[in-house]
Amino acid sequence: MVASVFHPLNIFLLGLAGGFAIPLLVRISTAWLSAGFFIALVGIWVVSGVSLLRILAGEPPIDILTAGSQPPIAISLRFGLAEGFVAASVNVVAILGALHLWDRLRGNYAALLLYLGLTMGINGMVMTRDLFNLFVFLEIVSIATYGLLALERTPAALGAAFKFIMATVIASSFFLLGTGLLYLAVGTLGIDELIAARSGITGPIGEAAILLVLASLIIELKPFPANGWGLDVYETAPSGIAAMVSVGASAGVFFSLVKLLPLFEHQFTILAAAGGLTFLLSNLVGLKQSNIQRLLGYSSVGQMGLLLLALALLHQTGRTASIPLVVGGLFLNHLLAKAGLFWIAAVTRQRNVDNAVGLAGHPLLTALLTLFLVAIAGLPPFPGFWAKWELVMQLTSAARSPWVVLILAGSLLEAAYMFRWFVRALSPQEGRQVAMPSVSALFPVMAVALLLCIAGYVAARASGAGAPWIFAPLLVGAALFLLDWMPGRAKAVLMLAAVLSIGGFLAQAAQGIAWLFAVLLLAGSLTIAAADLYRDDVRPGYYPLLAVLLLSIQALLRSSTSLEFFFAWEIVTLSTGFLIMKGRRAGPHVLSFVLFSLLSAFLLLAGFAGIAASSGTTDLRAFMTRGPEENVAFLLLAVGFLIKAGAIGVHVWLPGAYSEADDDFTAMLSGVVSKLAVFGLLMGTYLAIRSEVGLELAHAMAWLGMLTTIAGAVMALRQTDFKCLLALSSMSQLGYIVTAIALMSHLGWVTALYLVANHMMVKGILFLAVAGIILRTGTRSFAETGGLARAMPITFGTVLVAIISMSGLPPLMGFGGKWLLLSAMMDKGWYFLAIAGLLATFLGFLYMIRLVGGLFLVRPEGGRVTAGEAPASLLAPQIVLIVGIVILSLYPKLLMDPVSAAIDPQFASTLVWNGMSLEMIYGYWNPAPTMITAVAIALILGLIARLLRPAPRPDAVDFRRLVMLDRLVPGLSVPPVAVVFWRSLANGSVGAADLVRRLYTGNGQTYALYVLSYILVVYVAGAGLVGLWIGD
Amino acid sequence: MTTILPVSSILLVTGFGLALIGLCCILLHRHLLRIIIGSSLFGTGLHIVIVATGYVTGGTAPIIDRALGPAEPGRAIDPVPSALVVTAIVIGFAVTAVMLAYAIRLHSARKTFDIGAFTESKW
Repeated sequence: MVASVFHPLNIFLLGLAGGFAIPLLVRISTAWLSAGFFIALVGIWVVSGVSLLRILAGEPPIDILTAGSQPPIAISLRFGLAEGFVAASVNVVAILGALHLWDRLRGNYAALLLYLGLTMGINGMVMTRDLFNLFVFLEIVSIATYGLLALERTPAALGAAFKFIMATVIASSFFLLGTGLLYLAVGTLGIDELIAARSGITGPIGEAAILLVLASLIIELKPFPANGWGLDVYETAPSGIAAMVSVGASAGVFFSLVKLLPLFEHQFTILAAAGGLTFLLSNLVGLKQSNIQRLLGYSSVGQMGLLLLALALLHQTGRTASIPLVVGGLFLNHLLAKAGLFWIAAVTRQRNVDNAVGLAGHPLLTALLTLFLVAIAGLPPFPGFWAKWELVMQLTSAARSPWVVLILAGSLLEAAYMFRWFVRALSPQEGRQVAMPSVSALFPVMAVALLLCIAGYVAARASGAGAPWIFAPLLVGAALFLLDWMPGRAKAVLMLAAVLSIGGFLAQAAQGIAWLFAVLLLAGSLTIAAADLYRDDVRPGYYPLLAVLLLSIQALLRSSTSLEFFFAWEIVTLSTGFLIMKGRRAGPHVLSFVLFSLLSAFLLLAGFAGIAASSGTTDLRAFMTRGPEENVAFLLLAVGFLIKAGAIGVHVWLPGAYSEADDDFTAMLSGVVSKLAVFGLLMGTYLAIRSEVGLELAHAMAWLGMLTTIAGAVMALRQTDFKCLLALSSMSQLGYIVTAIALMSHLGWVTALYLVANHMMVKGILFLAVAGIILRTGTRSFAETGGLARAMPITFGTVLVAIISMSGLPPLMGFGGKWLLLSAMMDKGWYFLAIAGLLATFLGFLYMIRLVGGLFLVRPEGGRVTAGEAPASLLAPQIVLIVGIVILSLYPKLLMDPVSAAIDPQFASTLVWNGMSLEMIYGYWNPAPTMITAVAIALILGLIARLLRPAPRPDAVDFRRLVMLDRLVPGLSVPPVAVVFWRSLANGSVGAADLVRRLYTGNGQTYALYVLSYILVVYVAGAGLVGLWIGD
Repeated sequence: MTTILPVSSILLVTGFGLALIGLCCILLHRHLLRIIIGSSLFGTGLHIVIVATGYVTGGTAPIIDRALGPAEPGRAIDPVPSALVVTAIVIGFAVTAVMLAYAIRLHSARKTFDIGAFTESKW
């Protein structure tokens, strides 16, 4: 009984009966009409869902032959696992889409009928096992689409629909011809029989038939450049219809291709090329697009290209086991996320990317838009992320690296325009606020978002990374998001409690160096995050995101496979980006932050894939045992981590992002978040230990680090904005750490960790101090402030301590760090680097003196600055950090012994480190006497100076000179080469996009010509030029 | 009945010829109605080609009647292509009707049948 009620054939019964009933129901009343429509539509979904559940429960696939006869008289259908998955997911989106479109559909019986027909047709395309029947369902879908497109009456929409019809008529006619010829060649239309007989399909007719069917199916998927007709419809159709065409109809066509794929086994390269070209170039053209629906159109055709590419390549390389995860994941991701994007653009009434709508005041809308954008960009935790990871892994291990490059390049371009939209939509907008949509308008969007999250979890399980702790940061974030209505400080306390408990739990499971980082960064995070209490405003979304960030850092340090690492890495990147976005003027900087981060992430992905391909495992411990074969992977990882560390050349994202983030968050960015790049670099460097080339690369990396230090210092010298000066100082200090890591010796690595601890505390203090100064004076410019030593004595004191520790002056721990670094370089014989290090230290002194002098000693030209001391909630964390500095200055072994122990297992067994033992170095540097001596010398020198000269006025000319250094330095420094380079790269890409999109002239005949030429090109590519000649 | 060329060849040549004329019509004429006629011709031409592929020399219609006894199905032409084409003709009819409806709306929007007048959405 149940089986017959929920038999898949009832999908068609409901579709057709609903179709016939609707013209009758409309005569009764609109309510009957609506009820009849939804009964049929929901019925279709229920039938497909129940049948899918039956199959999941272990029942065999359901084969259907209608009318109790055999093909070709009977219609042959199949409802197996794959069919059920596609049909059920398309049907649920169809229901939600109808709800979204309801304003337009209500009472319009023709539209309701067509919508039902469209849904049924897609189900038919998915289920049919007969080639001609496929043609019929394709036409049902097409005609229903033609009709629904007429819902929009603007001339542009009508014109677009006409072009759409022209192109699809040509494609489907060729499909029909191919079907007819295939029947002539094989004598059957059954897909299963055709596949069974495929080796016999030879000769000109069979070959032509196969190629025609293939080419017309590709055309229906809207390949570049024969897709202008599709894009025009995406741009002009009602959002709900465009979404249905983008995700529903395309799903039907794509699944048809999947079914027929064995017929095309000699054409995999054509498929991959068609998909790859479309993915890359559609996403390129998207860069120049500002109409949102057309932008989504470019993204849609791009995603279809990616699906095609993945399908073809995985088949070609025999990795069919990965197809459910990769193709299924990408398909579901696109289905849900793209539908969500089309709908949310309509709900927020945003038609153009450049017209900011002021979403910032709506946390829910913001969260939804963000979720869809993140999903469509293939980022975690959504199915697209897991699918892309698996795809890249498989393609790399099958030595298809060029395709990996293409996929990553296309993904980066797609992320670029998607995040451009994000930044514009969220930019604070004076006077304009989007009206809060009604609950009924939001329901479909929220439902699809929920489904996307569930799908992400399922995909994670399928990838073998479904451990609960991986998702702990996101769950905590979601829980805090639900409490976002609470007062700001209460949320801050809750966030701190969550980070302490869950973060502590995560940290304890980390091992080795990762454990050290975990403890250090957890302590640092909590201390710096406590400073958030100085703000009492609501800060919507800030605390949940901060919790996600800080916990993801712990999750990253705990991860044991490269997949877990990469997952956490991406979450860290995203949450950081969104937190920077909270700064009022951060918009453009967020975009460059996200893009550089993604570039870095994709390099890491490629590096991880390379290691997994050669070692056969994603276990991170593989890093410690690999040899010279991993040089390329090391290079990729190193560059990836260096981008995130803000190394010279790729530092251009750093100053803006640091400067424009909220003041307390910058402290977190510089103090804590930047250390993850250092951790990654340390981990990646293990790969280089065992090879000569690797050591050469490491030498290059050392120079890169030192040049970063120098460049950062020079740029800091020129800054008139003291927060930006600190940002550049952060870049400069990270350079030292990079150099220390590149030393590839025990001593170097101990130094690196020592510097990490020092920098975390120092930058935490300095940025928090600056946050206090900005709070009290309201400016970030040296010119508008100064002479604060008396007004803010405690801040002055903390800054002074931090500066001394950072500069490497005795007696604080920075001195130990510098000493160790120089020792390690001398030990290694890198004398030039040591000299460069001294130069860098000198430049560092200069900008630090500028900072202290400019803020505290020299009065501004305008006169007195009145300001009070910073609030206690800002000062307390600084003092805690100072205590940390003092402890580690006096007892460096507290840190160094565990560090040394954590590093030892790797280095003790290798030959690289054969210099002095660490104990000997310690022997040279016993901090207590050194510091006492240093302090004594300083005192004596100071005394002598005092005796020799009369007491100088506090605002001595020397300081003023130093503070005004920015006016002297420009002559010495190089032009902003990196900025110019990256800007021209960006402009070049946009220029190229503008050039390519000229192909889409908007003329239907041109589009028809493209379609014809495309079919011809596919034919020639498959059959060769000989195929154009009739006869033997 | 004997012909110099087999019936199927005549049909094939005619069908492909019509299809080509249809394509030229779509690509070369800017008038919407001519484009619609072109796509109709294109479809019809391909229908003829498919019917031709089912031809059996000397065969008769696949209807069991006085001309074709139940015992001699081999003398009939292949019915499947004909069945396909019958369905395709119906679909083609529907598509042509929809295209004509669009042509009417486009004309009332811009007072012209020139396809070059409908290029607002591009790039």
